[in-house]
Amino acid sequence: MSDSQLSDMGAASAAPKFPTPKAAFKRRSKRLRVWFPYLLVAPAVAYLLMITLYPGIYAVVQSFYAVKFGPWNPIGFNNYIKLWGDYQFWGALWNTLIMGAISLTTQCVIALVLAFHAYRDPWVKGWRIVFLIPMLFMPSAVAFLYKLLFLDARVFADILIRLGLIDGNLAIQSSIWGSRALLILTDIWQWTPFLFIIFVAGLQSQDEEIEEAARLDGATWSKIFWNISLPLMRPVIAVALVIRGIDITTMFANVFIITKGGPAFGTETISYFIYRTGFKFFNFGYASAASVIMLIITIVLAQLVVKRAFRSGKE
Amino acid sequence: MAAVKRTKGANLFIRYLILGSWALFCIGPVLWFLSIGFRPRTEIINPQPIYLPTFSLDAWHMIWSDWPMAKYLRNSVAAIFGSVAIDLALAIPAAYSLARYKYRGRDDIGFYILSTRMMAPAIVAIPIFFLFRNMGLLDTIWALMLVYAAINLSIVTWIIRSYMMDIPKELEDAARTDGASDLRILWEIIIPAVLPGIITAAVIAMIFAINEFLFTLLIASTPDAYTMSVALANFTGGSDGLIYNAIALVAFLAFVPVFLVVIAIQKHLSRGLTMGAVKG
Repeated sequence: MSDSQLSDMGAASAAPKFPTPKAAFKRRSKRLRVWFPYLLVAPAVAYLLMITLYPGIYAVVQSFYAVKFGPWNPIGFNNYIKLWGDYQFWGALWNTLIMGAISLTTQCVIALVLAFHAYRDPWVKGWRIVFLIPMLFMPSAVAFLYKLLFLDARVFADILIRLGLIDGNLAIQSSIWGSRALLILTDIWQWTPFLFIIFVAGLQSQDEEIEEAARLDGATWSKIFWNISLPLMRPVIAVALVIRGIDITTMFANVFIITKGGPAFGTETISYFIYRTGFKFFNFGYASAASVIMLIITIVLAQLVVKRAFRSGKE
Repeated sequence: MAAVKRTKGANLFIRYLILGSWALFCIGPVLWFLSIGFRPRTEIINPQPIYLPTFSLDAWHMIWSDWPMAKYLRNSVAAIFGSVAIDLALAIPAAYSLARYKYRGRDDIGFYILSTRMMAPAIVAIPIFFLFRNMGLLDTIWALMLVYAAINLSIVTWIIRSYMMDIPKELEDAARTDGASDLRILWEIIIPAVLPGIITAAVIAMIFAINEFLFTLLIASTPDAYTMSVALANFTGGSDGLIYNAIALVAFLAFVPVFLVVIAIQKHLSRGLTMGAVKG
């Protein structure tokens, strides 16, 4: 069908004429009708099962074996028992949580402030493009940029020295919190725009008249923000934070490139722990046990948080 | 009246101070990175950072002659476009089913598709590594294509589904009373109507595919399957350490096309990034 015909159809004045199917086909199509929606969604589901269910089962099975490159030796729950007492595993969980929480909170506050100042600005489109830029670089590239700025070329330290704020060098690499701060800063720089874009869209879609009425009643902008904009934004914020939260807790490239999990495993995230155990020490069974724990946490969080956030976001 | 004007002026000042500082914070590192790409190697890592470097095209010549950059580019493009094609072929019918039919288990199926977006790549990395090894697909762009498609399928499906739910039902009903089959309705009415959504989904899938790091790192072990994202990590000159000017140039090489397509779909970006949950 040509484009012009389609646009005619969009006008909805005259419905297009389709040939009427034969009666025999109609009878068969009754049963087909019931199965049709399942058939449409089946290929996508099958594809995803291959990449989630199959690996999930594989990981569960492998977690009961000691697997190096040779044969699989069944060892029962030993991997899990060892995991329970492994301070590096608990450390990785803690690092993931603490860095994720700090990073997410900071990004959310910054993005809200920026969005609230930008959304009625005449140049909001311009701001949006400028703020977007960090997000459009590959994460691996951003990781190298920050490694260079803060560690290898010491530009940050040099600027602080020139400003007279410090005299010596900054020992970022050897300090756990210094390294964590660097990873958090990298994440904030690259991904605050993600929240900003969504928050601006959320604010712009709010009813301008409510705000106007409040303003005429003499409400200050901070009152409008706390009492009108923010409550209306709650579902939007929930969805945005859930998506960003997932991505922060699965952070890998930054850790791999900037800190390699150091110093003293202080910046090792759970993703990096699994990678190191599996692909550096080839301890596949043990890494799979850690994967299974992560998988369980993911499923629980998906049921509790994601489902709710997306349901409320739809309305 | 004068007081109102003054607070208005002060508010504007604060607004531009805040937005302006963040803009500087965004742009500063980018400009510095750009300057890295065009300076000679000797001026990158110095005891004293050099803020006014000499201009040089060293890195530009280096990425094309010392490394198979053309090959990395080709790998990236093939893997990305292949994966987006797989995604669209699977996601459009799935989204249509989720958006337009009522049937038992529909919401659970939809949520299952969404929830795969939550899976940390590291969780499935080991089994997928062995899966591809057994299939003999390690170190090929086919494996990358399949993985990228899997990562993005949930996003693509949910974005397109969201756009399909916006189409007025009457449009289909008219065609249906005329006896058009469901597939024909999908092809001739629904798909043209949600074209912006399909393009948005494709662009976002493309960006995530370019960014993908962990799987590519595990799957690609030689330049045969290196993409730009992982090639960066291999710009090392042995004892010379990381070759940052080459890294910076490749970063911008990947950035420019992404920037252009994102500007083109700007209006749909927030909806795409939230998988359709927030309408821009």
